[in-house]
Amino acid sequence: MIKKITSILFLTTLSLNLSISQDKIPFMNIKTIEGRTINTKSLSNKDGLTVYSFWATWCVPCINELDDINKEIEKWKEENVKIIAISTDDSRTKRRVRPMINGKDWDFEIFVDENQDFKRALNITGIPHTIVAKGSKIIYRRIGYKPGEENILYEFILSQNKNSNEKI
Amino acid sequence: MKKSNNFFIFIFIFFSSVSIYSQFFENLNSSFESYSAYYMDDKKTGDFNQEDRFRSNNYLNLKSNFSKNWFFELQVESYLPKSLLNYSPNFKNTNISTLKIDYIKNDLNLTIGNFYEQFGSGMILRTWEDKSLGINNSLLGLNANYQLNDQIKITTLIGQQKKGFKYSKGYVLGFDSEFDLSKATKNNSTFLLGLSYVGRDDQEGDNSNLKSMTSLFSARVDYSSDSFYTNFEAVQKTNNPILVFGIPSETFIKKGSGFLINTGFFKERLGFDFTFRRLENMSFYSEIQSAGNEYNESILNYLPALTKQHDYSLTNLYVYAAQPDVNFYVEDLMKSGEIGFQTDFYYLIKKDSFLGGKYGTSISLNASLWNNLAGEYNFSNQSYETNLLEFGEKYFSEFSFEVRKKWSDNFENIFLYVNQYYNKRLIELESGIVKSNILVLDNTIKIQNNRSLRIELQHLSTKNDYRNWYAYGLEYNINSDFSVYFNDLYNYDNPNDEKKINYYNFGGSYSKGMNRFTINYGRQRGGLVCTGGICRYVPASTGLTFSVTTSFL
Repeated sequence: MIKKITSILFLTTLSLNLSISQDKIPFMNIKTIEGRTINTKSLSNKDGLTVYSFWATWCVPCINELDDINKEIEKWKEENVKIIAISTDDSRTKRRVRPMINGKDWDFEIFVDENQDFKRALNITGIPHTIVAKGSKIIYRRIGYKPGEENILYEFILSQNKNSNEKI
Repeated sequence: MKKSNNFFIFIFIFFSSVSIYSQFFENLNSSFESYSAYYMDDKKTGDFNQEDRFRSNNYLNLKSNFSKNWFFELQVESYLPKSLLNYSPNFKNTNISTLKIDYIKNDLNLTIGNFYEQFGSGMILRTWEDKSLGINNSLLGLNANYQLNDQIKITTLIGQQKKGFKYSKGYVLGFDSEFDLSKATKNNSTFLLGLSYVGRDDQEGDNSNLKSMTSLFSARVDYSSDSFYTNFEAVQKTNNPILVFGIPSETFIKKGSGFLINTGFFKERLGFDFTFRRLENMSFYSEIQSAGNEYNESILNYLPALTKQHDYSLTNLYVYAAQPDVNFYVEDLMKSGEIGFQTDFYYLIKKDSFLGGKYGTSISLNASLWNNLAGEYNFSNQSYETNLLEFGEKYFSEFSFEVRKKWSDNFENIFLYVNQYYNKRLIELESGIVKSNILVLDNTIKIQNNRSLRIELQHLSTKNDYRNWYAYGLEYNINSDFSVYFNDLYNYDNPNDEKKINYYNFGGSYSKGMNRFTINYGRQRGGLVCTGGICRYVPASTGLTFSVTTSFL
């Protein structure tokens, strides 16, 4: 009986999801790097796109991705993109965040999601995980990072900016 | 069983009754994760002699922000026909793992159901989920967060703790307050103060001589300015019985404590961090009886090892796990906690300089040292008195040096050197001390059209334990969606020829947008597997594993 009900539940919800789904950045509390609580509402870029990159100090591909973006940060800035790196480091490694971002000279806004509430609310199953949002509307998501994928992301942003310029 | 039936009926009714409100489904998002394995016999590592060669862990999560202030979450888990090796036997069949409703209005956040919460750094309370370790220690009850004004935040909670699909008999209650006193500082700095309390009542562990209630009190301060930060946390724990041969003792009852000091400074291209921590009898479980259990069930606080978290297989052969417990095994093996420190240093050599090259060079150093608490230990009387700042026998020390360098648009590498000291006798209750040196070279070559090749070379040299190892790995990213790999660990210097085993693995992954599929065939080395500072033992196994993860948002 339980199995039957569960399988019905699985199927109905899955199929419903495929057809209708929500695509917004949830509003909730996360912390600044100094430990202050802020709402994710205040993160989004008013004039352009926002990239949310979920990472951790111990995640080698995450660091590769952010390093690769940072190496050409000027070109991203020209596209009016706001890059937000959300650290999912818990109390084991979170102390490494500040020394590390300075040691790497990363030019991103950094926030801390220590008990992974924001990550869970976005149904993120693993990191690195990258999201692009227009206002609070999610327009692109990707799990993982392979060398060179930052270029695909950059191309996507260019195409979005081009589209919105054409509309104007 | 009856209880779970009721759960499902409730869920079913809930879904059918709200289905008329399209709002619920319009705002629904979900994720599905499935991890399966088919275990095989292996001439080298031994036959698989348990039930069910095919096993599978499945997680379906549904969330809906179904009205302006209401938020719903349900997670159903299915372990069919059984959970993967090394997951607690309490995870069985299909059942609800998370069910909660949040009410969020202005500065109030109210939760009924299963919730995750953390006070301060987690030293006195952390409930969280880590599927790879089989940890989901949420509390089922009530949680209220209230932001009084810009300066004061208050959290109160009460609940029973999840253990597999069951719940602890006793209850846990907690209170946390955080004060933002930054306005009192003149410059642009942040000053935070926190006070917390967690109490656990374990009726099950109650006996005539002691109270069933154990309380933890904590105070913390956090200061940071433009280039400097420092924070301090102190914890006191009231009397708690020590487990002697797995049974809570009626006479060996001790208080506990924890201290953490962390400080660091940073400026452009440079960062430094230092942490000191002392833990005495600090492990904390919702059921006294569960202390030190291999599945980390009923764990209420988070005491991670403060060492560098490595990403390479040979650097994870001898991993330190924090030692917060009191354990009296034999006359010359008595522990009451740990004391030690960790420090990190990061530096980026400027672009366009001699050592920096075109892209700059990243350098990082890490050092850590952890020891038992020194003091008077008496095995026959089952008692001890520790000295506050004195270091006892060494558990573990590590020094590591890492350089990341991009040589050209298409080639970069990571060089890592690690020197480790691992006291196997004191940590694992086995014989010996292992002193090792590890070298890692990780190279990435970008080829056109988003193709890339990663070559990983590792070597561990030691005269102790099973002596030298080497490991190598190849990963080829065919395009931005597909990737294949092969890697192998080999204990080539093992004095016992029978034990020279190739732990090979090969497989591939496909990821596109929110979907990811992986497949792997190979041998897993038995031993300590650690994620996020929490470790557990796993036996060696051989087989085929595959996973599917997907989200719809």
